[in-house]
Amino acid sequence: MATRPTDISIAPTRAVRTSRWFVLQYKMAPYLFVSPFLILFAIFGAYPIVKSLILAFYATNGPKSAVFVGLQNFIFLFSDRDSHKAVWNTAVFAFWSVFLQLPLSLGLALLLNSRWVRGREILRLAFFSPNLLGQVFVGVLFSVLFIPQYGLVNRFLHFIAGVPLDTKWLANPNLVMPALVLTSLWMYVGFNMIYFLAALQAVDKDLYEAATVDGANAWHQFWAVTLPGIKPVAVFVLVMSTIGSFQLFELPWIMLNNSAGPDQAGLTIVMYLYQTGFITGDLGYASTVGWTLALGVLMISLFQMRVTGAWKGGD
Amino acid sequence: MYHASGVVTMRFPYGPAALSMLVLSILSGVWLAFNPIPPKKATLVMWTFAKTHYDAYKQAIPSFEARHPGVKVDLQLVSWQAVTSRLQAAFLSDLDVPDLVEVEISAAGSFFRGPLKDVGFLDLTDRIKQSGLYDRMVQARFAPYTSRGHIFGLPHDVHPVMIAYRRDIFDQLGIDVSKIQTWDDFIAVGRKVTIPGKRYMLELPDSESRRFEPLLYQRGGGLFDPQGNCIMDNEIAVQTMLFYVPLVAGPNRIASDLGGGQIFTRAVEDGYFLCMITPDWRSKTIEVDVPKMRGKMALMPLPAVYPGGRRTSTWGGTMIGITKRCKYPDLAWELALHLYLNKDDLAQRFRDTNILPALKEAWDHPAYDEPRPYWSNQPLGRLYAQLAPDVPFQYTSPFVGTAKGKLSEALVACVQYYKQNGDKGFEEFVRKRLKQSADEVRRLMRRNPY
Amino acid sequence: MKTFPRIVRLLVNLFLLAFAALTLTPMVWLLAATLKSPDDLFSYTFFAPRLSTYNFRDLFSTVPFHRYMINSIFVASTMVIVQLFFSSLAGFALAKYDFKGKKPIMILMLSTMMLPSQVLMAPLYELIYRMGLVDSYAGLVVPGAVSVFGIFLFRQSILQVPDELLHAARIDGCSEFRIYWDIVMPVSRPMIGAFCLISFMGTWNSFLWPQIILHKTERFTLPIALNQLVGLYQQQYGTLMAGTFLSVLPVIILFMLLQKEFIAGLTAGAVKG
Repeated sequence: MATRPTDISIAPTRAVRTSRWFVLQYKMAPYLFVSPFLILFAIFGAYPIVKSLILAFYATNGPKSAVFVGLQNFIFLFSDRDSHKAVWNTAVFAFWSVFLQLPLSLGLALLLNSRWVRGREILRLAFFSPNLLGQVFVGVLFSVLFIPQYGLVNRFLHFIAGVPLDTKWLANPNLVMPALVLTSLWMYVGFNMIYFLAALQAVDKDLYEAATVDGANAWHQFWAVTLPGIKPVAVFVLVMSTIGSFQLFELPWIMLNNSAGPDQAGLTIVMYLYQTGFITGDLGYASTVGWTLALGVLMISLFQMRVTGAWKGGD
Repeated sequence: MYHASGVVTMRFPYGPAALSMLVLSILSGVWLAFNPIPPKKATLVMWTFAKTHYDAYKQAIPSFEARHPGVKVDLQLVSWQAVTSRLQAAFLSDLDVPDLVEVEISAAGSFFRGPLKDVGFLDLTDRIKQSGLYDRMVQARFAPYTSRGHIFGLPHDVHPVMIAYRRDIFDQLGIDVSKIQTWDDFIAVGRKVTIPGKRYMLELPDSESRRFEPLLYQRGGGLFDPQGNCIMDNEIAVQTMLFYVPLVAGPNRIASDLGGGQIFTRAVEDGYFLCMITPDWRSKTIEVDVPKMRGKMALMPLPAVYPGGRRTSTWGGTMIGITKRCKYPDLAWELALHLYLNKDDLAQRFRDTNILPALKEAWDHPAYDEPRPYWSNQPLGRLYAQLAPDVPFQYTSPFVGTAKGKLSEALVACVQYYKQNGDKGFEEFVRKRLKQSADEVRRLMRRNPY
Repeated sequence: MKTFPRIVRLLVNLFLLAFAALTLTPMVWLLAATLKSPDDLFSYTFFAPRLSTYNFRDLFSTVPFHRYMINSIFVASTMVIVQLFFSSLAGFALAKYDFKGKKPIMILMLSTMMLPSQVLMAPLYELIYRMGLVDSYAGLVVPGAVSVFGIFLFRQSILQVPDELLHAARIDGCSEFRIYWDIVMPVSRPMIGAFCLISFMGTWNSFLWPQIILHKTERFTLPIALNQLVGLYQQQYGTLMAGTFLSVLPVIILFMLLQKEFIAGLTAGAVKG
């Protein structure tokens, strides 16, 4: 062809076939392709979102009967000691997930990224593999590993640090959260490490050359080149980890044998939602909790993105 | 794209990964289509969650089917969740439920949450009263399955509580069991024999309320009253807490606990605790879990709170209910009676499980007088049967589960306080803390518009 | 870059090796536990001198485990295909077309990603109940049929496809769908491989929604079935471990096959935008 069309929008008019049908299907194509999402969103997304807002003002007995209660649900939510406990536990978990897990993941990625590391592929696989199991199966496995006297965790800790063999983890209100944090560390450090590793490898090597020429030492280079280089990924991981932590449910639910644990030590917001909505049967109150969770998560995510200066309106 | 079949994978635009997904989906879908869930062929479907019950009923069912030719009973052993949260969800969402279900006492309340017409179980009040069962069974045992005056379940058991103890060690230490009449007597003996860290008089936990409750009931207290009001902070509850906490914490403690399973076995064998709170079902558990103590154990009634007072309590329980969805309620009722009332079956069941049935006339059977070698040749059945009529009432509520949880929390808090401050201000703290827990339950109850 | 002294390099390598071994230990324990008889289970820390298949035999004789497995396979693989089709189509549209409403739609998609799904579960359950889809496979698959995460993954990857290819095809008279089907998809196979694994993993391990929706035990997927096993056979840890092991095996195998694509796909979304 003599001239190559570079603009998508003029391509059809330059095409050999300018039949009505051809132009029509070209124009309709994107809408058609996006329509499954739109339809499904309308039914299973928009409708529930709106219904959820309405349900929040009702108390129900399962999906069949509902009674209007006005603001009662919200008032109860803000004064109930259990909901406070749920928020507190979830926040504590999120805190450790971010401030313990992420530095570990980054550190591991940095180590793994060194040029002289042997067997990087295998190591990467090893660190990532726990994530494949999924929270439910990890929960089952670790509920057995944390058994006092006979479980692997106590045996190991006793061996290296003399921790008493009969230490109760999941039956001790003070050790439930540490057990959960440890387990989630096991599951997610490798996962986040993958992201950091990819980001590290994508940093422009020339920047390091330039810095060396300028006389910067390793520490300096880390702060001046590495960190800014991985910032977008770091923010992404930060926001995703936070959102994920606030949705914690399966792990404690399975590990504490379908309960909130001793003295409600393992109660999380989603667990609270599940218990009130699907065990007690009050779908209205569950909607109230759900909305509060959503707003809270949204605010925290926006705050994080604002603070790290990564808000690029759009994508 | 026009190659021969050797390059089939290349033709599928999504590639080999997605192709295998598609193949998996089709294969498994076909398998599922050809192996559908077999439809209900039985006339009556019954669920139970306890293996011992399952084994016992499996033996009793053939005679029922023989009397009703053409009737098939499908008895299934299901998980705990199936008879608690799943059953309630199934009631509320019009899903498949069985015809008869055994429900445990702590879960029964959750089915009474909504309006009476929405309760998934059949109202059995008339049947029970008309057949005279209300008088023939221990009346206290209907209360946990009654809501707003309507009875929804037939009680399976009575579960009177005694104290199991290491008779051999008692003999060694020269303790005369007949002299222990009240809790004061018991505590006095306990203080003498307890060696902190090595030997405790009684097994009592300090982190949950499961053994606190029987002691509460013994005193005539409870979590709820017959009208469904929460009474877990009334005077009786306060007194029970004031009685319980110094037993498990502080300088004069005489009780401890370690846990269940193999740890419990070791503890009993070592004489780590000499006495255990033992309802009838637990005596069988002890027999099975601690076989080495055969001949060395014995049972004594619960010490009374005051001289002449009640010497037993209750712990646990099961009911059988008929769901509204059942197509043959009269037949189901007959099956329930067959399983719960047949005296010979009940006697054999007692031999297998040590569980006393709720039907009073069943206790006349000689099986209950048989001496038990494990328990130093005591007639275990007769001992429990003598205490059974005294078993206290236990009232239920849709909020029983929550109340139990809050009671445990209060117990933990009181133990903490006592460990740190001893008796100073303890009574006031207990009152406040119990009131706090009870108020939380009451707030939850007020929210319930039904 | 820097040259570090030998000793540091050695230490780092050793540390990484040790840490990797530590990470793998629970999984090794799991494997060992499935092959130990109940008496040996806690007597030996890892493997016992005699291997036993008791746990697997017990597992399959007490519950219809094969049925749970096939349920999981069916739901997960079907979900992958459905999500693959809808998400890649939408991702293609977002990558290669400019149309009115594109910006708002993308913002809408982005915001659904930020919304925790638990907000919707209560009314969604009520909706599914009214549609009569409770306790059905459709109730599991249909609400999640489009994965927004997938849409963005595909958009990212399809952006790399040279426009010339599409133009040439149009000039040849190809319909838009044929362009998608015959050109864009075959070129995107690595991303498809990655997405298959991500989607499969997500559905295979999902618990909350199936727990709410499914009632008949025969329809249970593996996570729900295993959770129930914990309560039913409380002290039979060996059987429990056998069930856990069989439940994680398929994902591990799939991952071995699709490693490279998976990691590339996962990070493509984050690193480039």
